[in-house]
Amino acid sequence: MSPCSRREFLKGLAAGSALALRPLPLLAADEAPRALAIARWQGEALGEANMAAAAGRLTERAMAALGGMGRFVGKGDRIWIKPNIGWNRSPAQAATTHPDVVGMLVRLSLEAGAKSVRVGDHPCQEPRQTYATSGIAAAVAAAGGEMVTLDPARCRRVALGGARLKEWEVFPEILEADLVINVPVLKHHGLSRTTACMKNYMGVVGGNRSAWHQELAACLVDITAFMKPRLCVMDATRVLLRHGPQGGSLEDVAVKGVVAAGADTIALDALGAELLGLVPAEQETVRAGAAAGLGSMDYRALAGAEIAVS
Amino acid sequence: MNARARARRLVWLRRGVQAASLALFVTLLLAARPPAAGEPSGWLGLYFRIDPLVLIGNWLGGHPLAGLALLALATVVLTVLLGRVFCGWLCPLGALHNALSWLGARRPARRRATDGFSRWQRAKYWLLAALLVMALGGAHWGGVFDPQSLLYRSLVTGLLPALQWAVEASSMGIYQADPHLGPLHLTALSEPLYRFWRDRVFAGQELVFAGGALILFVFVGLLLLNLLRPRFWCRYLCPLGALLGACAGRTALRLVPTGQCGNCQRCLLSCPAAAQPEKPGQWLPEECFGCWNCVASCGEDALDFRWQPLWRRPVAARVDLGRRALVGAGLAGLGALLLFKLPPMARAKTFNPELIRPPGALAEPDFLARCVQCGLCMKACPTGALQPAFDQAGLAGLWTPVLIPRLGYCEHGCALCGQVCPTGAIAPLALTEKQALRIGLATLDTTRCLPYAYGRECIVCEEHCPVPTKAIYFVETEVQLRGGERRVLKQPRVDAALCTGCGICETKCPFADRAAIRVTSANESRHPANQPLLPGALPLGGGNSLGADPYGG
Repeated sequence: MSPCSRREFLKGLAAGSALALRPLPLLAADEAPRALAIARWQGEALGEANMAAAAGRLTERAMAALGGMGRFVGKGDRIWIKPNIGWNRSPAQAATTHPDVVGMLVRLSLEAGAKSVRVGDHPCQEPRQTYATSGIAAAVAAAGGEMVTLDPARCRRVALGGARLKEWEVFPEILEADLVINVPVLKHHGLSRTTACMKNYMGVVGGNRSAWHQELAACLVDITAFMKPRLCVMDATRVLLRHGPQGGSLEDVAVKGVVAAGADTIALDALGAELLGLVPAEQETVRAGAAAGLGSMDYRALAGAEIAVS
Repeated sequence: MNARARARRLVWLRRGVQAASLALFVTLLLAARPPAAGEPSGWLGLYFRIDPLVLIGNWLGGHPLAGLALLALATVVLTVLLGRVFCGWLCPLGALHNALSWLGARRPARRRATDGFSRWQRAKYWLLAALLVMALGGAHWGGVFDPQSLLYRSLVTGLLPALQWAVEASSMGIYQADPHLGPLHLTALSEPLYRFWRDRVFAGQELVFAGGALILFVFVGLLLLNLLRPRFWCRYLCPLGALLGACAGRTALRLVPTGQCGNCQRCLLSCPAAAQPEKPGQWLPEECFGCWNCVASCGEDALDFRWQPLWRRPVAARVDLGRRALVGAGLAGLGALLLFKLPPMARAKTFNPELIRPPGALAEPDFLARCVQCGLCMKACPTGALQPAFDQAGLAGLWTPVLIPRLGYCEHGCALCGQVCPTGAIAPLALTEKQALRIGLATLDTTRCLPYAYGRECIVCEEHCPVPTKAIYFVETEVQLRGGERRVLKQPRVDAALCTGCGICETKCPFADRAAIRVTSANESRHPANQPLLPGALPLGGGNSLGADPYGG
């Protein structure tokens, strides 16, 4: 450590305590809230040691660039956070949303005045195991949220009013929330090639949802339209390049250091496709979503400059 | 304090111990579930470890048990010193029978005539003899009759699922009807209650067990027998009781006459074991549970338990087992053994495709010699895949665990069944060791599989395959549809060198009746004779660089 004078020390202390006492002015006063925020890690290389902190920080900055959580969460709102907790895999294996992304969103929601923040998914494997292994249960508990195990038997058959799906079983707990925050992890998928925002909505439905794969794009368009997305936070801190959506091998994982947030699922999914090295217009789900008027593939027009986070 | 007053206190103490033991048994049973972190507690199998019948059955089968099982020897020592106090004080099934005997007690006049010692009480010794002969030949049916196994199995596969169904059905009814009085909703009460049961008590998947009804039927039948005679099972049938009885003949704590008997027969009416306390000098130490009821019931202070040196001949009667009957029982055991060994499957001539054993299960003969059919693995299994076998493993394998992939799958990140198995019938494995094992092999039914048979996309089996390099892969195939239109479909295939047989593909296949991909026991690690593949076969195309992967490199 280099020696520093008393003056420098005191200055540093003052700055430090100011930092500690007051949240950083994340959004400059003259900066307008964006429709889509892409936060990209520019700090030192991400590894096991700093991934958790970076995931939280990226999320915080992306939300700030959207104008803060207060734009989405009203006082006394009941929030449902829907991460991807589909598989019994650890955070490093990149098959589930990073726990610190979820934890940060719980914290921000509560700070914005939410009455309750509940977190849950309808996993492909046993929820008690996926919730624990993914690290999300611990992160949510630490942030003051509530993990909820969903009961497929309690699904309610509701009118989706879609072009393909007229009705389907949906979890009432999720429908009853004032705001559903869709928090997918970006990864490879064997059929749709990528999975992010649209595909993550498969976790709000029960029934024989595996049959959706037969006409995946049409079904995803219908559920996305039905859910009327207001806030999606896409975790691309580390992504699964192969053997998705379940993965399991660290060899298939690449670090991207990106968290993007916004309401436009199509734009976010297009961004996701590009992050995985694909052309968004070649993605059947993205194309179908754009054609159905769910959003715009041109994420750049919405997002503007990326937010560098370190 | 006179003998009677002291005995009354001891009886209350005994009831407390019995209740505590039953509570402990149920607590350990409910705790047999995936732990939040790390390996499961070694205490889960406590009642099987203190059970000498489990110990001796495994020992005779040629499998000395781990050090902890020697706890069972402590039970034997206890019995040699104090008599069958295990039956009277500690056995949780005994406690249950005790409670039901009390409920079913009839008028004294009738009981006086029927409740004395019956020569049929020797039946349990004959059953024990037959079971030991069978165990010696490697056909272990001790677990079918062992009281700890019987209770555990019945609770896990019968009572608990029934209770769970009742809780779920009732709260679901309230949830759907949503009865309310203005702002007061009944669900505000029923839902937290339901979640408590779901998350704290059942703590796992919906428990459904094939054949659980039969197990429950047997269990309830045995409980109802208490209406016929108090503690019917313990008196006439329990082979563990017989084993302990055989150790109790010269117990140090003996019932002796201490005064003039008025022949009121209150002790006879209070004795759950029919150990002849009413006949001074003819008390049967092998039958006595050491419950102290007789002393507590005696108005004359005419009998009491006294310490006597082990080497002194007891001034008591003995149960005459009947040499011929005993030999007959042994022969019956031999007969049953031969019966079990007759089928081709028992001699590894055939392999039942449906006999998928949990990962780490020993080769079938060794497995059958060790498994005590307790159902601990079935309780611990997080997906409910392990089920009590009915005929899959032959008569010898009744109620042993078998994986039924339509009901559940072997979770890739779980090795709980072996870790909780109290006898090592399923080897305790670390997760990485378990993941390297194969319990079966998936087979595609191309006459049902959607992309093959019906020209539709479906990737569900591939998506769920937990092997990181995917044991199910796609071959993109151009198919001609009905109108002549051509379409490229991803058709799944199985890489036999990678498939572990976990069965999740079969569990999750969109076909709900008969899956289009099914797992059989082929290729299971434990049986080289059941492996069609050349040992050490490599994955097709060599793992990660597989196929047309858009993100390769």
